[in-house]
Amino acid sequence: MKKKPLYSPIEIFVLLMKYAKLSIKSILEYKFDRVFITIAIFCREMISVVVMFLILTRFVRIKGWEYNQMFFLYSFLFLSYSVFVLFFAGMRDFDNMIYSGEFDRFLTRPLGLMYQIVASRIDLSAALGHGIVGIILFANTAFSVGIVWNAKNIFYYIVVLLTGAVIQASIFLFSACFSFWTYKVDNLRNMIFFNARRISGYPLSFYPGIIQKLLMFVVPFAFVNFFPAQYFLRKSDMSSYWNGFLYMTPVVAVIMFLLVYAFWKKGVSRYSSTGTAM
Amino acid sequence: MRAYVEFAKKAFQNNIAYRADCVAGIINAIIMIFVNICVWKAIYEDEQAVDGVQFKMLITYVVLAFLMQCIYAMDEYRIENKVRSGSIGLDLLKPINFSGYIFSYNVGILIFRVVLQLTPALIISIILFKMLPPFSLTMFALFLVSMILGYLVLYCLNFIVWISSFWFYWTFSLVTIKDAAVMILSGALLPLWFMPQAMVDFINLTPFASIYYVPITIYLGQMPMEEIAFALLKQLIWVLGLFIVGRLLWRSALKKLVVQGG
Repeated sequence: MKKKPLYSPIEIFVLLMKYAKLSIKSILEYKFDRVFITIAIFCREMISVVVMFLILTRFVRIKGWEYNQMFFLYSFLFLSYSVFVLFFAGMRDFDNMIYSGEFDRFLTRPLGLMYQIVASRIDLSAALGHGIVGIILFANTAFSVGIVWNAKNIFYYIVVLLTGAVIQASIFLFSACFSFWTYKVDNLRNMIFFNARRISGYPLSFYPGIIQKLLMFVVPFAFVNFFPAQYFLRKSDMSSYWNGFLYMTPVVAVIMFLLVYAFWKKGVSRYSSTGTAM
Repeated sequence: MRAYVEFAKKAFQNNIAYRADCVAGIINAIIMIFVNICVWKAIYEDEQAVDGVQFKMLITYVVLAFLMQCIYAMDEYRIENKVRSGSIGLDLLKPINFSGYIFSYNVGILIFRVVLQLTPALIISIILFKMLPPFSLTMFALFLVSMILGYLVLYCLNFIVWISSFWFYWTFSLVTIKDAAVMILSGALLPLWFMPQAMVDFINLTPFASIYYVPITIYLGQMPMEEIAFALLKQLIWVLGLFIVGRLLWRSALKKLVVQGG
């Protein structure tokens, strides 16, 4: 027997807007702090950009990659991370929801759990901090690397940006699942995630095989920036990869999300509270 | 004095509890060094100098910079936590010097990291990356002195940022901005010799070069003897200058302190 959903899609959407409004309100409560945090995140993210810029002013090009191509490649990382923390910050902070007992409150409400997790968080500071870096890089490079911005390319760009965000969200949700079994893995996760991201700032072909494999099949950042950028740039180093990879970003995102979601479901089914619920 | 030794010991023991993090930190440092060397290899491929002395020096620079980052890591939020939780009130009642306590606590962390992170990471790096030995024994001794001074410069700079928690309560933003400045301007990620002259001139007016760049160039033998004396003196002056600023801030912070409940 199929259960009739409690709410219509319209009601769900209206509720989502209410959640968003609440999040924005709580952010605006501490305007000065939030602006300051945004600036701090911006500065932190600019470290690697500035270093790359300084290297490229000295060396002009690396393995045939011009400076605007390098920064175009890099811009994917910032923009898709920005999308990720704007829409899926709840997945990033999920382990904290378990420790603080916030998750227990979700369990008592007549709404989908994943919906509540996603709806309850917007990290505007991080989204802006990363987003501004991304926009600066994009605006400076997107029109000088020889891309024709026709409807097809724009569509492709938007799809890879969104699905790239889903890939990153899946990585975070995967590590958060371990908190169901009370393993604390956030330090390890941050180390793996943020370093993989830093590594992906440079073209995949710069690295030896093992690192390439890791970035393609373990922490698949190659599908967040390298292959999408290659779709536009078609550098010669693409010849050593299967051409189909250019279109695999959405596929990787869907497969990863479904696998992680199944794992997460399993976690929820055997979840017992930490006892800190408010 | 004994009390401070005990604080350092305590910090050392606290850190032992996080063995898994410690091992992860070593692996992380090795991977980041490896990745950076890959990027530099890619950069130098066009210049056909990958096997030259210059390139070996660059690799050594990268290894040293990352290993120093390992041991230069401090407990950035200890003062902030104490201020926000109010437990600083109790600490101030104790017959100890609070800044001395914070310093010895960080020295404990430093010793922990030297013994359990730096030593294994250094051995692995020597085997894997074939870094150059120190230019000479004298240079190595001077490198150690300069590295200790570099640590103190960074510590005094950090202390000023930490103390700001008396006014701001949350210091994440300031700490992060400070870190960004240190990472770029101190040569932790990119040797100063690759930077444009105007930028180097600016950096020379700041304490940042004293933290990473000066010790590493001494190790590599890239700095003439007469310049070393000057560089060390400059480091010492920065330590004293920043220390005095920290003391002054500390005094006004105490006047500012408000503890709710404690």
